[in-house]
Amino acid sequence: MAQTPEQLVLGVARKNPEGASDAILERELADLLTVEQRANAINSLLQTGRLQLFSSGTGLVYKEVDLNVAIKFRGLGTEELLVYQVVEQSRNSGIWTKEMKSKTGLAQPQLTKILKNLETRQLVKTFRPVENKTRKMYILYSLEPAEHLTGGAWYTDMEKDTEFIEVLQEACFRVINHRGLASLADIADFIRSKNLSRVDLSNSNIKSIVDTLIYDGRVDEVEGSSGVQYRSALLQLPDSSALTSVPCGVCPVFNECRPGGIVSPESCIYYDKWLDF
Amino acid sequence: MKYLDVPHFARLNTFLDTVDVGNYVVCGGLEAYSCKLAGLDKKLSRSLDEEIQMESPPSVLAESPVGPTGESASRKTLIYLILTLNHALPDYDFSQLRAHHFKRELDLSLLEETVQRHLSEIAKVWESAPDVNDLSFLESVRKAIDEAIELNSCEVYQYRPDVDADLFDDEGKLWSFAYLFYNRKLKRTVMFGCRGVSKIARRKSATLCSDSSDTESDVDYGMAAEMDV
Repeated sequence: MAQTPEQLVLGVARKNPEGASDAILERELADLLTVEQRANAINSLLQTGRLQLFSSGTGLVYKEVDLNVAIKFRGLGTEELLVYQVVEQSRNSGIWTKEMKSKTGLAQPQLTKILKNLETRQLVKTFRPVENKTRKMYILYSLEPAEHLTGGAWYTDMEKDTEFIEVLQEACFRVINHRGLASLADIADFIRSKNLSRVDLSNSNIKSIVDTLIYDGRVDEVEGSSGVQYRSALLQLPDSSALTSVPCGVCPVFNECRPGGIVSPESCIYYDKWLDF
Repeated sequence: MKYLDVPHFARLNTFLDTVDVGNYVVCGGLEAYSCKLAGLDKKLSRSLDEEIQMESPPSVLAESPVGPTGESASRKTLIYLILTLNHALPDYDFSQLRAHHFKRELDLSLLEETVQRHLSEIAKVWESAPDVNDLSFLESVRKAIDEAIELNSCEVYQYRPDVDADLFDDEGKLWSFAYLFYNRKLKRTVMFGCRGVSKIARRKSATLCSDSSDTESDVDYGMAAEMDV
């Protein structure tokens, strides 16, 4: 069965996934198509979005576009493509509709219509950042918003998941306590083996948890010959010490106090009261 | 929600769009909507109704600023308030708001006090305007709202945003307020919102008050009418 010129061109593009240059197309199709047939085929494929033009190091190349992807773009006007590009450029930070308006110069009703169209075609989607929960942000359908916008592993449905964090803290502490000395890798392996988390936790996520244990005074960091390890804290942070209840801390005449003066430690009435068991 | 063109609002909005009071600028506006739901609004209203019902405590007497959330009338009120905000401020999505984000204002004098407190400076500018302004600013606003929605038969709500869900997040914003009026019988809502923005901050970001570009300042409000959402 004879193939159409378009199918022939696509065939060459498919064989060259990094891009088929004009030279390659010419070479492969010289016996099968005239220059005119080839040019028309290329144009029609570009029009219907089955072929896309890229500039590579050595010049311009054509790449095949997946049929499903091509369908999503079919029929989009220049303004829609403009909006799509603007969203694409924002990568995984996404972009606020207000910024989109200033970047594209489109008015609200137009933009709303275009975004509705792009959303139906599953080219873009909305998301709400945790910092400004009411802002309408858009991102490419295939991307996920960056961690700092969604709160990452510690946020579920835009709320900080404190229970989850606490569960992880206890688990990490138990490992460290149990083993005496544990490295981040040991802790991470244990946490993952226990399937405590619905989402994948990166090593830096786990390190954040261990850090909170250090700041709470429950765990110490130890630098050894085999890298950083963690052990349960030797000195616990006391809730309070005797020094916190010494009267001098809240004395109203602290600055006037000196031995032998009118106000002095030896004549201090607050000490008398404090030491009066 | 269908945007309603209220001529007196248009006049006040032209004034309120940007008012320079020296070291800061006031931006605000009045918008009126009819509670006619179509298309996306209807879908959103249905899903919100379900969500709010699910989140309500079991008792029918579960009180909230819009009324007992067990009753569909209260839920409808909340939904109209949310939709009004969505339409008035299309760059934001308020569908996560719930009843506790609004405060029912039973005493209009409190509202007047707030408005007076924030807008006394622009009231002076209003009174010195070249065209005939026989009424004070506050009276003009009251008269306009009354004509649009019969103030005396309205429920008045003040929007109380969470820290991270503010209504106007301009850079250098000094203060803001937003009141929503709902007339159940007329099936209409009005939003009256204002904010004060420091001039220094606005010099840094070279955009004007209006959400769209300079030349389309009132188109933003007017065009909403053509939206078939």
